Amino acid sequence: MARIHLTPELDSMIDFAGVGSSVVRQTRRGGGGRKHALRRMAGEFQNETEWILRDITTSVRVGESVALIALPDDGREEFLRLAAGTLIPDTGVVRRKNYVVPFVGVVPALDRSYTFRQNIYIIGGLLGMTPSEVESKVDRIAEEADLDGRLDKYLSNARPIVRQKLAWAICMAVETRAYAIEQLLVVGDGEYREHCWAELDQKRADGLTFLVSSDNDDDLLRFCDRAIVLGSGSIIAETSVEEGLAIRKEMVPSSKRKKDKARIEEDEEGEYEDL
Amino acid sequence: MLRMLVLRDLQKTYTKLRLGYLWTLLEPLGMSIVLWLVFSVLLSRHIGQQPYALFITIAILPWWWFTKGIAQSTRSFKRNTNALRISLLPTEIWVLRVVLVSMIEFLFSLPIILIAMIFTRTIPGPLIIFYPVAVILQFLLMYGLGLLVASGVAIIPDLDRIVRICMRALFYLSPVLYSITKIPEHVQPIAAINPLVGILGLYRIGFWTEEIETPWHYGVSFGAVILVIGIGLLVFKKLEPRILKGV
Repeated sequence: MARIHLTPELDSMIDFAGVGSSVVRQTRRGGGGRKHALRRMAGEFQNETEWILRDITTSVRVGESVALIALPDDGREEFLRLAAGTLIPDTGVVRRKNYVVPFVGVVPALDRSYTFRQNIYIIGGLLGMTPSEVESKVDRIAEEADLDGRLDKYLSNARPIVRQKLAWAICMAVETRAYAIEQLLVVGDGEYREHCWAELDQKRADGLTFLVSSDNDDDLLRFCDRAIVLGSGSIIAETSVEEGLAIRKEMVPSSKRKKDKARIEEDEEGEYEDL
Repeated sequence: MLRMLVLRDLQKTYTKLRLGYLWTLLEPLGMSIVLWLVFSVLLSRHIGQQPYALFITIAILPWWWFTKGIAQSTRSFKRNTNALRISLLPTEIWVLRVVLVSMIEFLFSLPIILIAMIFTRTIPGPLIIFYPVAVILQFLLMYGLGLLVASGVAIIPDLDRIVRICMRALFYLSPVLYSITKIPEHVQPIAAINPLVGILGLYRIGFWTEEIETPWHYGVSFGAVILVIGIGLLVFKKLEPRILKGV
């Protein structure tokens, strides 16, 4: 794990200092006039740099659970990935005391052409487990994920809920002191949700640090101590979860953002077809 | 972890196809036979050393590894976007993986050389010990070049097409079909900048000691290998943040 550097002497778990992250979006070349006619016809793309996050300075203390509140597609995912180190900031520095396990996009990373067992090894490895560590845990993970005997079957047609449970079980099996979780705080239904909560509460009692974003307000209210509110790429407030949620209700997605959201939903539909 | 990824890949290729392992042998074998027919039987030109069938087989196998590995490394980050998003492991392993997989396939295909040796009744001399050295050098070259093209895709989306054309050109610019000693003497120094010249030469000197006549070729080629690795690592480090953003 050479890529991610740790600073063990850090007081807090994760520390952001002036962090910014941009993406280069490609837009179709617009503009009328004869000068650009050919380029328009050829469908030439134009690169546009957009800052998703700007000048983020904050820190997450050891053992607290922080809710990350923002509108969808407003830098939440990037924030979590920066925290875990799976994204490198364009400006500023992120420092961590321990490895932060990114539970961001684990479900799409499951490979349908592998068996459940192979997936556990690969995803576990990517999240920082050694093969021998996975070896010793693979049965427990299978049990946690309710696989009952399908461990050596191929993942190909597994339902989304099965995938979610699998991803969840793998993530929870990683020995770590901190998590960055997007959406899937608890998965499954009824009884299984209770099981998830029990596991999470146990981890919290053990003093693990959580950074969570979710569209389910009740989950955040139940689980988190405080909230960081993001708006248009900057931190608007650091406050209690209730207030944070109230602030988000007042934020109106701008039309541009709506368009982006629509685009993303389209992508997601495509993904589901793929499943 | 890397070993696991490589094993999974090999497993995938060898269980999916009906002839499995045989394809590793048949593909380059077919190509060598075609080229041997065209250049030796039909055109009867003396552009390489004799026996030509063996001469060409020895270069085709590493060449096959080279094109396959480089073509796959251009796609390595794009194909693994989802895994890359959650990976706490060094980003380089995705390139290392495709280079290793293609290398193992290359090693699996080595029996073809034995077939060609029996077919032409040729026995290599003591300089065959340079063969593993050539394998290692080619691996290093491919790792550097693979990193370069894999990260280059992040800024130039059409790079894989460009790479494909370059590979085609490189096939004729490298001494695969011919021997470096057969081209005009004053062009040789320029040709030697191509690191494949030295590497392919090393593969061959076990069989044809004439190939060693110009040792400085090897020096130039190895310098080029080191240069390529340096540039590859540098470009990769520079572009890593953009690669992680998901190309």
